[in-house]
Amino acid sequence: MERSFESWQKEVIRCIRCGACQNVCPVFRELQAESSVARGRVKLIRGVISKDLDLTEGFIDKMSLCLMCKACVVNCPSGVKVDKLVEAARKEIAEKKGLSPLKNLIFRLVLKNRWVFDTGMRTGRVFQGLVFRKGPNGQGMLPRMSLGIDKRRLLSPLAQKPFKGMYPEVVKVPEATMRVAFFSGCMINYIYTDTGRAVINVLKQNGVEVVIPPLQNCCGTPVRINGDYETAKIMARANIDVFLKEKVDAVVVACGTCGLSLKEEYVELLEDDPIYVEKAKKLGSMVKDFTELVVSLEGFKDKMGSLPVKVTYHDPCHLVRGLKIKEQPRQIIRSIPGVIFEEMSKADTCCGSGGSFSLYHYELSTKINDHKVESIHQTGAEILATGCSACQMHIADGLNRQGITMQVMHTAQLLEMAYKVGEGLTSVKFDKG
Amino acid sequence: MRPEIIQKLSEIVGKDNLYTTLEDLYCYTYDASFVKADLKKDLAGVAVYPSNTEEVAQILKLANQEMIPVVPRGAGSNVSGGSISVGDCIILVLKRMNKIVEIDRKNLIAVVEPGVITGQLQSEVERIGLFYPPDPASLAFSTMGGNVAECAGGPRGVKYGVTRDYVIGLEVVLPSGEVINTGGRTIKNVTGYDMTKLFTGSEGTLCVITKIIVRLIPLPEAKSTMMAVFPEIVQACETVSEIIAVGLVPCSLELLDNIYIRNIEEYAKVGLPIEAGAVLLIEVDGDAEILAKQIGKIEQICRRLGAVQIRVAKTKEEAEELWRARRSAFAAVSRGKPTIIGEDATVPRSSIPAAVNRIQEIADKYNIIIAILGHAGDGNLHATILTDETDLEEAARVEKAINEIFIATVELGGSLSGEHGIGRAKSKFITIQTGEVGLKVQHQIKQALDPNNILNPGVMFGA
Repeated sequence: MERSFESWQKEVIRCIRCGACQNVCPVFRELQAESSVARGRVKLIRGVISKDLDLTEGFIDKMSLCLMCKACVVNCPSGVKVDKLVEAARKEIAEKKGLSPLKNLIFRLVLKNRWVFDTGMRTGRVFQGLVFRKGPNGQGMLPRMSLGIDKRRLLSPLAQKPFKGMYPEVVKVPEATMRVAFFSGCMINYIYTDTGRAVINVLKQNGVEVVIPPLQNCCGTPVRINGDYETAKIMARANIDVFLKEKVDAVVVACGTCGLSLKEEYVELLEDDPIYVEKAKKLGSMVKDFTELVVSLEGFKDKMGSLPVKVTYHDPCHLVRGLKIKEQPRQIIRSIPGVIFEEMSKADTCCGSGGSFSLYHYELSTKINDHKVESIHQTGAEILATGCSACQMHIADGLNRQGITMQVMHTAQLLEMAYKVGEGLTSVKFDKG
Repeated sequence: MRPEIIQKLSEIVGKDNLYTTLEDLYCYTYDASFVKADLKKDLAGVAVYPSNTEEVAQILKLANQEMIPVVPRGAGSNVSGGSISVGDCIILVLKRMNKIVEIDRKNLIAVVEPGVITGQLQSEVERIGLFYPPDPASLAFSTMGGNVAECAGGPRGVKYGVTRDYVIGLEVVLPSGEVINTGGRTIKNVTGYDMTKLFTGSEGTLCVITKIIVRLIPLPEAKSTMMAVFPEIVQACETVSEIIAVGLVPCSLELLDNIYIRNIEEYAKVGLPIEAGAVLLIEVDGDAEILAKQIGKIEQICRRLGAVQIRVAKTKEEAEELWRARRSAFAAVSRGKPTIIGEDATVPRSSIPAAVNRIQEIADKYNIIIAILGHAGDGNLHATILTDETDLEEAARVEKAINEIFIATVELGGSLSGEHGIGRAKSKFITIQTGEVGLKVQHQIKQALDPNNILNPGVMFGA
């Protein structure tokens, strides 16, 4: 029996309406309306459950105005799982009102079916030059014409070749000390192949053999948090089957959102499926963020060359509050000789991306991003490292809008660079914006 | 709300600062209290977010002409139902007026707009070695305007007093739309009635506060924190009375009962003995040299009156660990029961043991769980009722128990509310404390300033 919307009553009444979420909610910080803070969302959900309110357009809009950043969840004195409540409301909306035609197409046709996604992305690469122009400093691209997204929006181009096409299924190393499977996620596969390459190179350098299962899918989070549970379940089961088949010591992720999905959310999603819930638990126990794995490898600090550069780090929401990865990336960055690590203020505040949130609420999402960019800029760093491709794209967009020159990269890329210098393959020079 | 009123309001604040949809207005039917607005008759007509005094004045003038109720609101963290919508009203949110106008180091004052977050003011003044002491639990998100309107307190009340002790001047808008200034920038000021003190704690019933002048004090040099564990709660209560009686003034003196202790230990694992009857968390502050001496004296009193375990924090981190227990208190008890009602009865400090006794008797009588946590140093006990609001039968018993707690408090010479306010939650009890004539005088003040009863009607005096 699948959990009914009404059954969330138990969770909504735990909200004592103290208002502590006002202190941390990035959307509320911009909008200030009571309906835009966690307490308001919970009250609205309660209103629908108790039939004070209906699933109106207004309600649907309020539910869409959540970044799912979990800041309220960790700050809530009563421990109300606001993100789960919003997700339950979106599920109710999707079931009773249906998804929008665009979301329907993307979720049910594209993301679910790997070959459609692959073909679409390949075709997309050929045509993207017609509609996008190159961004400043050769980074990213800007729309040439209106696409329903802001013309100032810096997007990253699709890669020449998807990540999975760049490597054999098994990347062997001599005398491997460990064997892991890598879940790349969509953005690394199609856009940030550099991140994927860095993950592979760093792991190789540390004697870790990497399996890249070709049949892996999108993790399903974009589908699930928009309420389409049916599609999300199909995607989860497919990934579980693919990864449990591999004989590996760990499943490595380089994205907090995908990681949280594989580690914890599949179990919740599949709780009514007695066979797959056990499989999901097994997969979950094997999942490790890239930085978590690296710091556990003896000798990862050996062979690093010096990078005379100032670095700051942004905590992706699902990495820091989901997978609870906070110290590991900092430990890696600080261990690189020459690097000056400068902590920004509020490093764990959401960058405003929120996945599809930034496409549907672009203005708002850029306002939230402005605060993040300001904190980053104040550090005077030349490199921003982070652990999530969506944050990477959104922050690069923000820096571009503000005319700030700075490199944005995954922690893995910074580490890869240090190893390269260590091998004498390259010397590094950075321009400060 | 009539469309032409909304149109006029929109012209005053701008259309982006005004909300009229059902979903938006639904979110002003509550605050942090257990009071709920009746959706059928108490859904606001509009919520407006003015940006300056002039806009507030225009809004009030319009409301007064049209006799529309106005509910002033800050962060909506009110715990007595004083900021929820009533009738087809205007919700007047002051959050956009959020500037710290000045921090005057020479005169030790700060001037702020009402939407400034209390905790932000504190960190700003502390950066230059000054101190604004009032510390309600909500300080990280509640506003100065709300704190002044409710006369908020907090743990530091025992040594430093409450909001009222720091407000020396106000700019307010009267229901007529006229703007007046009360008090000023001086410590001494006896020109006319003390309107500043009257408006502080007036719960949005007399005026809308648009500017606040507070006095600041030098930031204490150092702090020292200790925890004492007692087998019986009565021993802890006697210890509190004794500490106060010998003239020691800690800056915090917090009491946690056994229900809290057990829940905190299960939840946060801070090493509290779960069989203990009560724990006192004590903090002293001041010159670094005298702190050890003060702590030593308090330690002696605790031992003499039966403390079985005493921990004095040696480092900042250890002190933080002790406070972690106190701060996790609320989260800890909320795991077991979904509905938590925090009461606010306050008694003279010597009556704390008697008050604790009465509360426990009432809990037994109505067969409900009441945990006690309190700013014991100033007699402000927060009886915390752990219940489930969906259990209607229990809810009825809870209501009776709350009524009895109020009566017991006043019998012990105490106050219905120490720092939460009367609001809508306690308005029907007000005469127990003020008496009929006392209430009549308050009514007359209200009528003189707000003859049309547009400002927060129902708050304090009932419907």
